[in-house]
Amino acid sequence: MPDPILGGHLVTRRTALALGGAGLLAATLAACARGTDTRPSAPGTVTLNSDNPTWGPGYDAASDVLAARIGYRITSRSVASVANYNQIIRMTAQTDSTTDLIKWTNGYRLQDISRADILTDLNEVWDDAVGRGWVDEAQRESFTYRGKAYGVPLYKSYYAVFYSKRAFAENGIEVPSTFDDLLSAAQTLKDADITPFLSPGATTWEAEIWFMQLLASVDPDYYAAVTTDGASYVDDPAKQAMEVWSSMYADGFFSAPDVTSNDLPGLVSEGRFGMMLYGTWFANTLLAAGLTDDDIGFFRVPPMSASTRPAVVVESGSLSVPVKAHRRDAAVDVARNWLATDVQEAWVGFLGDTSPNPSALPKSDLVTALASDIAATRPVQLIRYWEASPTPLVEGNVQDLGSFMVTPSPAKGESTLRSMEARARTEWKIWNAA
Amino acid sequence: MTLTQPPVPQEAVVAEGGHSPTPVVPAPRGRRPHLAGAAFLAPAVVLVALLIALPFVFTIYRSFFDDNGFTRSWVGLDNYVAMFTDPAFGQSVLNTLFWVVGTLVLPVGLGLAIAVGTWKLRLGGLARFAVILPYAISGSATAVVWTFMLSTDGGLDTLLRLLGLDPLVSQWLLQWPLNTVMMIIATTWQATGACVILFLVGLQSIPPSTLEAAQLDGASGWRLFWAVTFPQLRPMTIVVVGISIVGSLKVFDQVLLLTNGGPGTASETLALTMYRETFTLSRYGAGAAVAVFLTVVVVAASWAYLRRQLRPASN
Repeated sequence: MPDPILGGHLVTRRTALALGGAGLLAATLAACARGTDTRPSAPGTVTLNSDNPTWGPGYDAASDVLAARIGYRITSRSVASVANYNQIIRMTAQTDSTTDLIKWTNGYRLQDISRADILTDLNEVWDDAVGRGWVDEAQRESFTYRGKAYGVPLYKSYYAVFYSKRAFAENGIEVPSTFDDLLSAAQTLKDADITPFLSPGATTWEAEIWFMQLLASVDPDYYAAVTTDGASYVDDPAKQAMEVWSSMYADGFFSAPDVTSNDLPGLVSEGRFGMMLYGTWFANTLLAAGLTDDDIGFFRVPPMSASTRPAVVVESGSLSVPVKAHRRDAAVDVARNWLATDVQEAWVGFLGDTSPNPSALPKSDLVTALASDIAATRPVQLIRYWEASPTPLVEGNVQDLGSFMVTPSPAKGESTLRSMEARARTEWKIWNAA
Repeated sequence: MTLTQPPVPQEAVVAEGGHSPTPVVPAPRGRRPHLAGAAFLAPAVVLVALLIALPFVFTIYRSFFDDNGFTRSWVGLDNYVAMFTDPAFGQSVLNTLFWVVGTLVLPVGLGLAIAVGTWKLRLGGLARFAVILPYAISGSATAVVWTFMLSTDGGLDTLLRLLGLDPLVSQWLLQWPLNTVMMIIATTWQATGACVILFLVGLQSIPPSTLEAAQLDGASGWRLFWAVTFPQLRPMTIVVVGISIVGSLKVFDQVLLLTNGGPGTASETLALTMYRETFTLSRYGAGAAVAVFLTVVVVAASWAYLRRQLRPASN
């Protein structure tokens, strides 16, 4: 009797192998074909690649306004993994498989890919936007490399303290206006059995947050200098910042370093949340979790002494146009109009965050009050640590800071600064030689 | 007949089937059979060459360059020198060694103990099912569960406090080497099931007559296991240990998801170092150097182990 599967007349082993081989070959050829995501987009649209899949509705809202202004809409696509996204952009932006617009970061991470001449110079767009009052000229520097601006601000967030209005009211705490007030507020919360600061970062990028803020509060000029190879990590301001951070840990002001920011809404509902220093972009998550302006407020971390200028750390993504974009002119036109007040109002209306355009404010009072405070006090705006120095230096130093958060002793603080300084010497040498 | 089976004697075919065999036609000598063989081998050879050999050769080539994905310049052995002089790399090698020893002692040892211990028990199937069940869960899901268990004030700390064992409460994932040990235990929870299955297959292949003969001779318990059962499990033990060594040398997902190699680089393994250099820092040359080192270690360890274990017994 013939084998019911392979041994019959219809399908011999050779036939099966030949069919399998042909199928494999066809699949391989199909895989080599160009996908719809890498072909030119439909007329009237430009494509945008991003690493944030939840921002689609925001791009749609902004597109409605863009379409009315210039006749182009944004078709967004995203890669959720930041590591994968970075690699995809590094590879595709060199080829005509790129999207017309890409989301990137500003600062040294933008400079890193700008060196490869794969992005379009948008200085003309900046001139136009600054002239119309759509963006602060001071921001241009963090998007510029060797005189060319390789992106416009996609968004603008500040690092500020989220605080529980309920916890503050119940414990008679006023919004701190000095650093001592901040420490005093933390002590009051601790006495009320509320962990004063939710502070993630043991093994994540968040380890940078308190370090950069404390440096900014000690001496904003030093922060700008140390992140651009103009000062040493073992100088006095850095030592002072680490000592303050260590003493705040010793006073029990911080949560365990392996908490996550996503714990915040739960802690608020349990009445156990006090404060968290974080990017204002996180407001969107909190609003989505059902929290309102009545639950949460924001304030800037005050300077360490009265003689120090107030400073705030700024995070800003970059909207960049690859040189090989299919619809490059249209993409530049979108970048030119991205900062327009009506487009930004639609965009931050979705984000619930501040905008690079000072005239565009979200509907939520959560961020509006902070934006008004910043407009009134005009603090020094410092680029976030993540983008403020070459990537390998920042990544290594943030790992060191994560280790410090696990063992936050004064001695560990000193050894952390020494390690950061040693890495800075190596990495700046590499960066300057490239 | 598969390619790995020995040729079946013609008499056996006759005896089993009862039909007269098809007359054997001698294969024509010449190039045709060779060409047919080559054609059948070609897909596999091409796939291996394209997907394994070629990328590996390119990785070796790339490890001699300073490569940021945009520009590439020849640096000779600099990437290897930097790798071997980096203290984080030494820590990574040490952690990888921990993983090799840990996964040999725990999942393999426990798998053997559970398979042998529950083999002939009445409710053994139930016990084995409980052990094997986590094997069905993906590595990522396992890491999520264990993150919940091992984070500060997580499941384990809560349980310890409930039992009045407050002094044992720890930062399980934040202190080295405790975090590496806990990750090995988490992996043991998941991987032991696979070892149990393989050892059970091995146990079922032992002829009952040898065990009965040993029992008639008075062997039982530990002595029966050590002198009779375990030696007959040798082929399966070789496979399980071999898989375990290779798996532990390239461990990645559990560490990435539970500690991200941190704090700092305290719990990083070689695979994570390779990932960090390549995908986080975009230093493709340095990442390639770690990849080459890891490959050499995996191949050398596998070759040394299998060469020793699979040596034909001398009569």
